[in-house]
Amino acid sequence: MSKKILVVDDSKTALMMEREILERRTTYQCVTASDGQEAVEKAQQERPDLVLMDVVMPRMNGFEACKRMRQQPSTREIPIVLVTTRGEESYMEAGFQSGCNDYITKPVDGAELVALLQSYLGE
Amino acid sequence: MKGDKHDRSGSKPSEMNDLRLEAARKRLAESRGQEDAIEGVREIVANFIGSEEIVLFKVDRRNATFQVFWSFGVDIEDYDLPRALGEAGLQHVMRGECHLEAPDRNRSNAVAKVKAFIPLRFANQTVAILAILRLLPQKVGFDRSDMDLFKVLSDQAAEPLFGPKAHSNAAPEGSGIRA
Repeated sequence: MSKKILVVDDSKTALMMEREILERRTTYQCVTASDGQEAVEKAQQERPDLVLMDVVMPRMNGFEACKRMRQQPSTREIPIVLVTTRGEESYMEAGFQSGCNDYITKPVDGAELVALLQSYLGE
Repeated sequence: MKGDKHDRSGSKPSEMNDLRLEAARKRLAESRGQEDAIEGVREIVANFIGSEEIVLFKVDRRNATFQVFWSFGVDIEDYDLPRALGEAGLQHVMRGECHLEAPDRNRSNAVAKVKAFIPLRFANQTVAILAILRLLPQKVGFDRSDMDLFKVLSDQAAEPLFGPKAHSNAAPEGSGIRA
């Protein structure tokens, strides 16, 4: 059974790109959400093996969504990788404090993204 | 990324570049109206090129000027397109070539931050100019894949942004247009 990744971004372009990468370069199944609130809900419904999530989003940002997922027993252990344009050390630290496992900056290097996901999920 | 760089995917850079170009083309082609097209351009520049400072200038044929049509992340009062480009650069862009500016670290004003001017073409005319300004801190400069993306924006952004009559108000090439 293929591993499932929940990809979260309010940008249609980013979602399209990340989905294309996952579908063409991996065997992972991909489900999507377009903001943090939807991500929290979908994480509970879909029980993904990993969450790949943007930070700056409407309704609920990635940091808050990450905290909420860590508070829920059903999503507490899911690896979360945050993706954002902000690469400052303090911003990344805030990401880790929210409970994420890893952090990558945009523009995303597709090969690097695939390798990172494989390091969590296997090939 | 926390920890070491990962390099075990086996994906070739050209394959990833193709995916990026395809996503950009698809995003522009599937834009629903001007507002969505603007958002599409912003997303492409932010997610694929690596800048959150963008100004879109519309070429006004009747008044022979450039007007700020839309901007993101910048104070547009600071920008003077002809000054930023210079006469030669302006002609270059109006002919349909991208103009890239090397950063000048001795200049602190906004003009010095300008990184790339991309002509948005329709019916063989430059109908608008997209200025991509300061890059994200983690983005060190433009590479080959960025040039490919500039070409996609140049060829395919004008129609979704301005509609099928995008060229009707554009300046003809070599018109000596000025702001």
